Amino acid sequence: MSARAAGAVVSPMLLRLAREHATGALIRDHGTLYLVDGRVAHARSPVAPGADVLLTAGGRQPRQGRISAGELEICHLGALFDAAFFALAPGRGPARFQYGAVHGTPAAPAVRPVPAADIERETLRRRELLDTVWPYPAVDAAPVVPRPAAPGQTVTPRQRDLLAHADGLRTPAQLAWALGRPAFHVLLEIRRLAAAGLVTTPPEPAPPVPYEAMTHGAVPYRAVPREPPLHDPAGFAPEPDIALLRRLRDALEAHL
Amino acid sequence: MANTETALKEATTVIDGALGAALVDYTSGMALGTIGGGKDLDLTVAAAGNTDVVRAKVRTMEMLGLQEEIEDILITLGTQYHLIRLLKGRGANGLFLYLALDKQRANLAMARHQLKKIEAELEI
Repeated sequence: MSARAAGAVVSPMLLRLAREHATGALIRDHGTLYLVDGRVAHARSPVAPGADVLLTAGGRQPRQGRISAGELEICHLGALFDAAFFALAPGRGPARFQYGAVHGTPAAPAVRPVPAADIERETLRRRELLDTVWPYPAVDAAPVVPRPAAPGQTVTPRQRDLLAHADGLRTPAQLAWALGRPAFHVLLEIRRLAAAGLVTTPPEPAPPVPYEAMTHGAVPYRAVPREPPLHDPAGFAPEPDIALLRRLRDALEAHL
Repeated sequence: MANTETALKEATTVIDGALGAALVDYTSGMALGTIGGGKDLDLTVAAAGNTDVVRAKVRTMEMLGLQEEIEDILITLGTQYHLIRLLKGRGANGLFLYLALDKQRANLAMARHQLKKIEAELEI
């Protein structure tokens, strides 16, 4: 909410290109957005599994005509927003725009280009959602280490599946690729699991991830840096963290 | 076989009293498509918010040990019905159709039936 109220913008360059009705590739540290006439027609990020990976995850073969038009469209649209979210993560270098560049996917996806403003709004919403669930971005890039459930504590079937694949080595992005799920979905579920105490929260913020490491599945997304350095949420902070205590109280009350 | 746009269009034209409809991914809360709505009913906000409704119900069912699946969820307001239909099918992992209806003009039984039909046509 606060970010939106302050008129936060994910990428001023994207909005400017949209106003210009530009066609080409917006190349950023963590991925590329392909614009056609100012709209986002395709997005790619090494973190986010592409539509082909998502479609074949359940042993389905898109090329055998077993996928309906509805499913194909939804899958491509989901993959586009997923890749855009990571591509728009804060990078270190300036973004570049290659006028005229188009993405060379041979089987053109059956998805209508998305207005840049929609991408902006959704990316902001997703950042806020992650921080509402559990404001510790360190869990996004760290290997997922499950913790034993409290007596009577339950998880959803999709979370159970995720925990079953968390071997203490895989990062959320690597789990996304392994399970063929959108990377943001996995990030969000891991934050939910961390908030529930079912996954460890690393004590230190993740060190900056070098770009080379990203192609091997580390997650580049980092939320807006917080002023006080992150402390171990499970340990003792020098000063009481009122927000955390409130969250704890609310969570405990929700379980009464 | 229909794409999301035609399915949503059908939902708002075929179903009497429909005020707006959205196809929502309930893991992320994103509306994959919307139709209708307007300044009185922001469907993208409704999509994100109703995601919490679905999640809460799924969690409750886990806690109760119910092995069933949710077909739909009905929310009745003073002047509106809000209908959430969870989609099934191989590719429908975590999607729901959200439909807002004008209580005066809508026939609830008919609307549920038609929503089911639209789901089948979407062939997800």
